[in-house]
This record gives sequence, structure tokens and C-alpha cells, in this order.
Amino acid sequence: MRDREIAIVGYSETKIELRSGRSVFDLAGEAMAGVLEQTGLDKTVIDGLAMSASFSDAGNPFQGPMMAGYLGLELNWTQTTDMGGGSVTGNVARASAAIRAGLCDVVLVLAADAESTENKGNVGLWRTEWQFPVGTMGPPGYFGLLSTRYREQFGLDDNALAKLAVTQRNHALLNDLACDKLRKPLTAEDYLNSPMISSPIRMLDCVMVCDGANAVLVTSTKRARELGLKKMVHPVGYGERLNFDEANPLPDITLGGHSVAGPKALAQAGLTQKDIQMFHPYDDFLIAVVMQFEHIGFCKRGQGCQFVLDTDLRYNGTLPLNTGGGQISAGQAGLAGGGHNLVEAVRQLFGDAGARQVKNAKNALVTGIGWIPYARNWAANTALILESA
Amino acid sequence: MSDKVIHDPQAGIRPAPKPSSMTREFWEGAKQGKLMLQYCRDAKKFQFYPRPVSIYTGKRNLEWRQVSGKGSVYTYTVTHRGPVPFRGIPPYVIVTVDLDEGVRMMSNLVNCEPDDVRIGMRVRVCWTETGEYQFPLFEPDR
Repeated sequence: MRDREIAIVGYSETKIELRSGRSVFDLAGEAMAGVLEQTGLDKTVIDGLAMSASFSDAGNPFQGPMMAGYLGLELNWTQTTDMGGGSVTGNVARASAAIRAGLCDVVLVLAADAESTENKGNVGLWRTEWQFPVGTMGPPGYFGLLSTRYREQFGLDDNALAKLAVTQRNHALLNDLACDKLRKPLTAEDYLNSPMISSPIRMLDCVMVCDGANAVLVTSTKRARELGLKKMVHPVGYGERLNFDEANPLPDITLGGHSVAGPKALAQAGLTQKDIQMFHPYDDFLIAVVMQFEHIGFCKRGQGCQFVLDTDLRYNGTLPLNTGGGQISAGQAGLAGGGHNLVEAVRQLFGDAGARQVKNAKNALVTGIGWIPYARNWAANTALILESA
Repeated sequence: MSDKVIHDPQAGIRPAPKPSSMTREFWEGAKQGKLMLQYCRDAKKFQFYPRPVSIYTGKRNLEWRQVSGKGSVYTYTVTHRGPVPFRGIPPYVIVTVDLDEGVRMMSNLVNCEPDDVRIGMRVRVCWTETGEYQFPLFEPDR
């Protein structure tokens, strides 16, 4: 990937809304139209479609072709990726591979979900047998289990979590696309006093599930130039690890697959952690951000909270973090949520971020997290590094 | 094992499990208060949850064995706001337990006040009725 043969040439994101009442296809159409408007391209140049599986359209085993129908697209390649919040970053890599293999030229990486309006997800199996009876149907129970264990092994500093909550909320206040319900100032005391959901997880540790869609357009750098496109960023490193330590029946749940995917992406890009100028980690829960700092190697294991306290994570700080508010303060567009963090990184590198523009950033690290396996942390771990042209 | 479950805020409202072709032995054992686990005859190790193959070898040289049901708490969370059908009930404790046989199970800790649960505390399995099956819970092994 380091050869810069692949380019992201456009991005789009809808407003993130709570219970919008909209169809996932409607939201997706808005995201595609946004990319076409931004790039000035005709839709006929799109010949590949990489989708993210959604909760709203779960149960439909023909999501790609049906979406192509609604969007009026004729394609040479499609795939629907089902890594939850890891799907969008994963799809940039899959689209790159498909383009390099000659399967298609211009791929719309599209994610849409209206989970807060309609959730048709039905996973079954061990979830109905050993999870639902226990009362941890939602992720907060799992992250409660994870946080308690982390606290036992390393200590967990509430002040670091509060700092993350406030930093990301301040970024969301500068993002018109963030969910309106979340665009209210937040103090550390607000975080610390928010209701306990599943100890030690508080309400303000968690994302709020919303509706929304996002898209990026991926093509070869050569094709981008032929199309007369000037703005582009290059994916230069990617790592992915699924089901980390799966054959260990007694895993250490404070460790995860970003410890493999993160360093792999950095090595591919020829960069070290210190070279990263913006960090857009997948943030379903605040502790996931702390753990990713550790797993990717920004600091040692157990030092994540101290790293947060010691680092200026504001958009104008030394390591800008989730400058669009992240999902925790912009709202999580269901299983399309991973695209929020990616789109914000591209927006920043294009210099389009307005009041929250990061100055002089030439690269960004974006991550994804998806699927919560039985009695573990999370299954899908992705890490994608972007560089400006 | 205690004669009855004294402290269990979720008693009587847990949804009944739906066994699959991979898990009937577990639930049939549970009806008789036996904790049955899959055992890989090649790796000589247990695994949980039940799977179509050994997680150690990918092969199907598996059998079912009854285990002690004793272990220690790996981690826990006290749930104050649970999902349906547990909304509005008093706080309850979710634990993951490392069984002495070397697998981790997730369940509820009962007969224990939420403030008293600790990582590493010894626990043993106990059972509660859910539909036509019994569901395995854990209680302090005092």
C-alpha cells in the first residue's frame, strides 16, 4: 500500500440522527449523492460497491445488488462486509485489493444503518443460549466485565476517561453533522456523575445508537488523475486481526487484536507511533480508546490512562483525537458507525474540517472494532493509515 | 450446593435457552443438574461454548464430560440498567468464571450481595429453572 497506487478521492457523511424514521437505502442514497456532488463525477464511473452489513437491513442476503438497484449503479464488483464497526476501514482495504486485481476501477465504500429506527438483527446461537439469560444483551455489560478486569490488572483512572469524554464532546460541538441531542457542553463532573449502567460503565462511557450513512470513493491514483481529481489521500498501511487468541479458552481480555493489526499497519506505512499526527480510533466505549493506545503501542500496557492524561488530544493539540466528536459524542450510526471516524480523517486531510481543522497534519491512523464474542472483548480489529498526497 | 437460591433478582424472568444441534448434551445434562462440557480427546482440553469442532485441532474428536462446576471469578459487572426483560429490577451481578477444568463461562452470581463480589473469589455452579431446562448460575463456594 505504501506505493500510493490507491487513492481516496471523495467522502460524504449524513447528519447523524436519533430515530430518523428513514430507510437505510434512503440514507445510503444521500451519502452517494454527496460524494458525487463533492467530486463532480458522474455516477457511471462507479463500477464497484463495498457495503457494510447493517442492522436495519439484516436478514436481506442480497444487500449489495439491491442497494445497487436503488442507487442506479451498474457494477463489475460488489461485496458486503460484516465486521460491524470494522467494516468501513476493512472495505477500504478490500476495495484497494479489488482495484489492484483488476476487478473494478472506482469503488464506492458505502455504509448506512438506521439501527435506532429499525433493528432486524437476529444473531442467535450462543447469544440466546448463554448471553440473553444472563442479562448482558447489550455491549455495556461486556464492557463492564472488561473494565472491571482492566481495573484489577492495571488500575483505571476515572479522570482519564472523563478527559476523553470532554475532549470528544468539545469536538462534537464543532461538528454540525453530530447528533443534535449530544451537541451540549459536557464537564468532567457530568461524566463522573452520569448514571451507572453496568459497573464501572457509566452512561457517558457508551455510544448512543443512531441512524446515519457515510461513503468514501476509492480508485487507483492513476485513474483519479485521469478523472481530473485534485484532492486525494492514500491508504498506505492496513492491518486486520479477527478473533484474536480464539483457541485460548482463558484469554487475557485486556489484550486484543489491535496489538497485531496496529503494528502491521504502521510497518506497512513505514511509520512509527510517534509519526502519527491524528488518531481516529473506533470508540464504542471510552475504555476502548484507552486500550487501543496500549495495543497499538502509543504507550505500554496498563499505561493508557496515564498516556491520555499526559497528551493534548484536542484538535489543536499534539495528538488530535476523533476530531468530529467520535461516535461517543457524534452518535453511532449503527453498524455504519465506523465510517464516521474514517470520513473525519479524510475530511481533515482534505483541509475541509472548518472550525476544528487540524493544522499541518499529513497522516492519520483510523481504526475499527466489530462484533463482541462470548466472554471476550471484541472480535474484529482494523487499523488503517492514510497520508495526504 | 445450597438448597435454594436466596438472592437472585433475575429469578423467574430469564428467557429460556433454545438448544441447537451442537448443544443438546449440555442442556439435557442441565436438566439433571449436571454441568457437561465438550472435551477434545486429542488436545486433552475442555472448551466452552460448544462448537462443531475442537478449537485446538479443528477436528471432531470430541466427547462430553461432566465437570465439577467449581472455579473462580475472572471478572464481574453489576448491572443497574439491564435490557428487556431485566429492566427495572434491582442490580444484578454478571460474572465470568474460570472453571477448574480450564474454560471460562459467563453467568450470574447469586446468593451474594453485589458489594461482596471480588475477582478471584471461589464459586460453584447452582441451577435455576428456565422453561423446560435449568440454567447454570454461580454462587459463592464458602
